[in-house]
This record gives sequence, C-alpha cells and structure tokens, in this order.
Amino acid sequence: MILKECVAMILAGGQGSRLGALTKNVAKPAVEFGGKYKIIDFPLSNCAHSGLDTVGVLTQYQPLVLNTYIGNGNPWDLDRNHGGVYVLPPYQSAKAEQWYKGTANAIYQNLGFLEKFNPKNVLILSGDHIYKMHYGEMLSAHKKSGAAITIAVMPVPWEEASRFGIMNVDENGIITEFEEKPKNPKSNLASMGIYIFDYEILKKYLIEDENDTLSSNDFGKNIIPAMLANNEKMLSWKFDDYWKDVGTISSLWEANMDLIDSPPKFDVSDRKWNIYSRNMPLAPHYIGKNAKIINSTLTEGCVINGEINHCVISAGVSIAKGARVIDSVIMSGARIGKNVIIKKAVIGEGAVIADGAQIGTVKIKDNPFASHLCSNNLILIESGTEIPKNTVIPAGSMVEAELLKKGE
Amino acid sequence: MRDTMGIIVSNDEKIPPITDKRAVIALPIAGSYRIIDFILSNMANSGITNIGVVTESNYSSLMDHIKSGSPWDLDRKNHGLNIIPPNLAEFDYGKKRGDLDMLANAKAFLRKSHQTYVILSLGNAIYNIDFNDVVEKHIENQSDITIVYKDMTGADEDDLSRYTLIELDKNKRITDIESKPQYPKSSFASLELYIMEKALLESIIDECSSRGDHDFIKDALSKKLQGMIITGYEFKGYYGKIDSLKAYFENNMIFLDEDTRAELFNLENPIYTKSKDMAPTAYKENAIVENSFISNGCIIEGTVKNSILSRGVIINKGAIIKNCIIMQDSVIGEKVNLDHIVLDKETVISEGKKLIGQRSYPVAVGKNTVI
Repeated sequence: MILKECVAMILAGGQGSRLGALTKNVAKPAVEFGGKYKIIDFPLSNCAHSGLDTVGVLTQYQPLVLNTYIGNGNPWDLDRNHGGVYVLPPYQSAKAEQWYKGTANAIYQNLGFLEKFNPKNVLILSGDHIYKMHYGEMLSAHKKSGAAITIAVMPVPWEEASRFGIMNVDENGIITEFEEKPKNPKSNLASMGIYIFDYEILKKYLIEDENDTLSSNDFGKNIIPAMLANNEKMLSWKFDDYWKDVGTISSLWEANMDLIDSPPKFDVSDRKWNIYSRNMPLAPHYIGKNAKIINSTLTEGCVINGEINHCVISAGVSIAKGARVIDSVIMSGARIGKNVIIKKAVIGEGAVIADGAQIGTVKIKDNPFASHLCSNNLILIESGTEIPKNTVIPAGSMVEAELLKKGE
Repeated sequence: MRDTMGIIVSNDEKIPPITDKRAVIALPIAGSYRIIDFILSNMANSGITNIGVVTESNYSSLMDHIKSGSPWDLDRKNHGLNIIPPNLAEFDYGKKRGDLDMLANAKAFLRKSHQTYVILSLGNAIYNIDFNDVVEKHIENQSDITIVYKDMTGADEDDLSRYTLIELDKNKRITDIESKPQYPKSSFASLELYIMEKALLESIIDECSSRGDHDFIKDALSKKLQGMIITGYEFKGYYGKIDSLKAYFENNMIFLDEDTRAELFNLENPIYTKSKDMAPTAYKENAIVENSFISNGCIIEGTVKNSILSRGVIINKGAIIKNCIIMQDSVIGEKVNLDHIVLDKETVISEGKKLIGQRSYPVAVGKNTVI
C-alpha cells in the first residue's frame, strides 16, 4: 500500500446562516465568489498547488450543489488513480446513524477513510475561507519541528484580536496558551482554523473526545485545549498574506471588492497560482456600443449594454441599455433590465431585475425588507428572485423570493 | 444518433503568418475558441462519440488543444477522440499530396470502428449544424453520398470561386461538382461535409491509393457522379469558410453581431473548448470598451473598439485598438495605435507604435513577434 505523506480534509458541511438567503439552498462553500469561482475552489486549488493529491470534502448541509460541482475532481487536477477528491457525507452504520455533531466528530466519523490511506499527517481545512496558501511549506515546518499539531496563525489588528481565537506563543513559535475571543488579548495571532496533525495523535484525541459525552466535539473548543492540557508539542505557523473568512454578507461583499481595488488587495490573476474552477462552456463576453465599464471584473458569457462601475460580474450576466450598476456583486446568470439602478448590492444567481427597478437608491425607516444580516446598507437579492418593473428596494434589504411573492 | 462516426481532416491550406506554426483548423477564433471546436462540438452534440482527427505535419498545436477530448466529453472508454498523425515514413516532400493521402492514414482507424455511417469533414469552417437530421435525410434519400451545401445566391463571382460548387437537379441529386472554379456556374457552395457508409469511404480510399489519386473531390467524387446517388443537403445557417486572412478576419468580426452569436453559441448546442482557468477580465479606471468580444484573463486600461480579444491580453493605458483580432497573451504597450490588425499569440507591441491595415487588407503579425 502506498503511504500518503498528508491527506487533506475540508470541512464543508456548515450552513453559513449569516449569509442569509445566499445559503438557503447551497452550503457556504458552494457560494459564488469573485466572478467565476465558488468559495471551495480556494482550498481545493491550494491543495492542488501544494501537491496534495488526496482530499476528503466533508459535506452535510444542502450538499447537492457542492457534490455535483466537485464531481470527479478533474478541474482541480484531483481525478487520480491513487487518491483524488472524495465527498464524504455523514452515513448510517450498523450501530448508529448520526449527523456530524461538530468539526472533530466529522473527522472522527471518517477515520475509516483516513485509515484506508494511512497518512503520516492530516491537514484539516475550512471550506469557507478565501486565501492562497502553500500547505507544503506548513507541512515542512510541521515535520521539521516534530510537533503533534501545527496551527496556521495570522496577525490581526490588535483592536480586532478579541473577535478571534488567539494563540499565545513563545519565541520559538510554540503555542503556550489558546484563548477563544479574549477580552484582553496577550497576542494578536489568530487561529485560521488550519491544522496539520500527526495522524496517530489525531486519532488518539478524536477517540478520547468521542468518548467524552460532555464534549461538543469541536477542534477549537475541545481537541486543542485537551492537547494543550496534556503538554503536547504545538507549533504555530505564521501566515502573513491575504486571508478572509467570508461568513457574512458584508465580508463576502468586501472580499469581492478587494479583487477590484487597484492594485487588487487579493490577486486571482497570478498564472502560477491559478484558482481552478469548474468552467462552463461559455463564449467570451460581449460589450455593446453604449456600454461603459470601469474598475470592474467581467466573466465569460456576459452581454453588457449598460454602465458598470466598481463591480464583480459573474458568468452569463446580462445588463441592458441604460442600466447603471455600482459597487455591486452580480452572480451568474442574473439579468438586469433597462434603466435599472443598482448600488451596493449582492444579486444572487439567476435573479431577474426588471426594467426601471431601483436597488439601493434610497434609505427608508420602516423598510419591510430590512435584515440584520445586511449591515452597512448592503442589499442582498436571493438567487432566482424576480424583482418586478420599477420596484424600489431600499438600502439594507434582504429580498427573498418567497417574501416578495407574499408582499404582492 | 444512428451509428455514425466522424472524421475531421486537418488540411494543409496556408494563411501566413498565422498558420506558420499551426494547422488552419487549430487557428484561434472568436476569442477563446479554435476553428476545430465548431466541428468537434457539432459532432459531439449530435451524439457522435467516435471521432478521428487526421492531421498534417504541423499538428503539435492541434494535439495540445484537443488532448484527450475531455471538453467535448470525448474521453471515453470506448472510442472517443483519436488523433491520426501523418505517416512520416511515406511523406514525400517533392510531391503535392491531397486529402486522400491523409485519409489513407486513417485506414486502420476506419477498419477498427464499427459504425455504419461516417461524416467526413474536409473543410476549415465554422457553423453550428445538427448532424442527426443530415444522417436521417441521407438514409431516407437512399443516397450513396450526401454533400451538405449552402445556397450562396447573391454572392459575387470572386467570392463564389472560393468554394467547391455543386449543381443539383430537382431531386437534389448532384449533377456536377467543381472545386474553386474561376467562372462559377452555380451558387451552391459545398460545406465540404460528406455523409456516406463507412464501407464506401474505405473502398474509395483503397481505390484511389491504388490508382495514385490524391484529391477527394477531383479524383474520387467527380468520377463517381454518374454511377452513384450523390445528393445535396441544404444547410440554412451561418457557414464561414476560413481560407484567407481576409476570411479569417471577417469570420471573427461576425461575432460582434448579436444574431450570429445567438446562432453559433446557442445554449442547446454549445461550442466547447479547452478551458484555461484564467481569472475574469479586469477593466481598469481608464478603460473604454465598445462593441467588442472579450475573453477571460484580460487586463484593459486603454480603448478597445470593434475588436475580438483572446484570453490573457493586456491593453495598457492610452492604447487605442480598433477593428483588431488579438490572440492569447499578447501585450499592447502604452499609447499604441492599432487598426485592422491581427496579432498572433504572445506578440508584444511596445509603447507608442502604430500599425494600420484595411478592412479589405488586414495585416497580421506572427506569433511571439516583438515590435
């Protein structure tokens, strides 16, 4: 049997409820990002570029889109004879049937999968972060140190440190203390939720954790504190590049906007580190005679006759004459009618905004569509929603297809 | 689809300088496609899963493009896509070879294939055709060979003489066939698409190679018009033959027309191509883009009008690009002025240069050129 140096496990089962209507029918890792990607393309592409050829993707919440998207793994060069990508949903067994109870339990339930590959190390990843990282470099540091676990950390601004899980480390980078959302942080190194475990040690702690009925079976809450308490050698590995958790509508919107800054805060156009995705067979985009596009990115299959300023436009979007779209993210297949105005919005896949509609042009007090999930006056239009002609949607709205029908 | 296979012959017409390093069929077109994508996708969409691509000597670019055939779903356990390279041992540089000599290399492939019918494509052209109907009509008419043609009535003589022209009687039976006649007698242009039984094609190849014939139309078809039932199938869609730089230019510019785009890139019968994993195209602060067809991976800071951009093209500040076809990864420097220019892949036009062609005479710049 071929021994695997490292197998990656991507936790992709979370609902991502703070993304509101965007994750009603798809899991968070399947949400579109950056015009032609889905969030999961980032960890998968990182795996491909890091030489990791065996990847388990643990799914649970609304897995259909994610499963079909990953398919045989070919877009990420993960259709391999020995290894490749495997979608791992929860399953029934003779003893019990259960959902993944927590991040640690999800891996515990797939020890059988890991056993098959018998890796020396296991890399645990989240399926909902936007970043480019060479996991191989982290793995070398991990191997060199002989640590039981290596945790990727990144420096965050001190004033924000109390929002993160903070690692206190010594001068050699050895983790001495872990504090979840500390009021008075002693360090600004936040855990990125990226762990490399020595497989045998991981197995031992997962089994112990599973036997503890009081545990919430979570890496951050249970496994890592348990390892610290046992004085395991725990190494921090510092990452000082772009990284974003796109867990909220505003962070998703912001991360999209980061792509169109000049120069971009996050660059997806580096040809040595292509972000792979499952590409649709679409023609180049057509820019009409009256179109005006600046500070934006466009994807194949679009037909643009209107004005676009500072937007990320996904594949197959049409924007009609006289329409003006500003500071927005338009997801694939959306159709924007004539003379529509859109400001600071996230328009879901396949949404139709009929002629003359105004999205985000006004702020009103008793907005029937107001949602606490849409902070900073952002607007979210659910995938597939049809906004009727000349409708005015005020800033800070979350418009769901069903709600709109009821309101009629 | 009735049990039908496909053979695509990559013929050796030349359009210098853009075919210096590749076959015409491998030419980039419509931004992110190659000419062969159209016929390959047409065949794949019609349910044909056994396709041979017969190549001439210059085939590495073609191989690189089609590889295993996965974009067309042709990486199959049974059949799929087969590249048939020339037999270099028999390659005689002094002698003009024809499409029949190339087809002779496909003998083994034809013998192995067990389909009854074969669709043979000899042309460099773009169109979107459903072969199911063509094969049905072929069987219905009890034809020995069916030739797909387009009615070009209204085209001028010069234009017509670019084509293989056929004459038909009232039963659509072909009575005469002429290859690129100087004085055209008919306005029915062959798409250089032939449907026949595989066994017939095999016997034509055998017969001709034993006689030392080289040309499928002149030697094989013309001589068989009396003895066989050769019928025409009229194709009413867009047919763009690419046999000169001017034709190449025009057949790119048609993608700026909404109706042609809707026909050639319809959602029911998509055209597939190799995907490149390039980022979306970035339009910067000073970008001005009008009436253009633009692929992924470009960075645009200048002005682009009435043009076709392949993937990864960079247009720097102050550059003005009008009526141009710019192939993959070319870089246009600041304040460059281009009009009616075809730029091959990876060309670099440095700051301030000016190149002007004419609609009737576009100018092409070869691959990897630095100006």
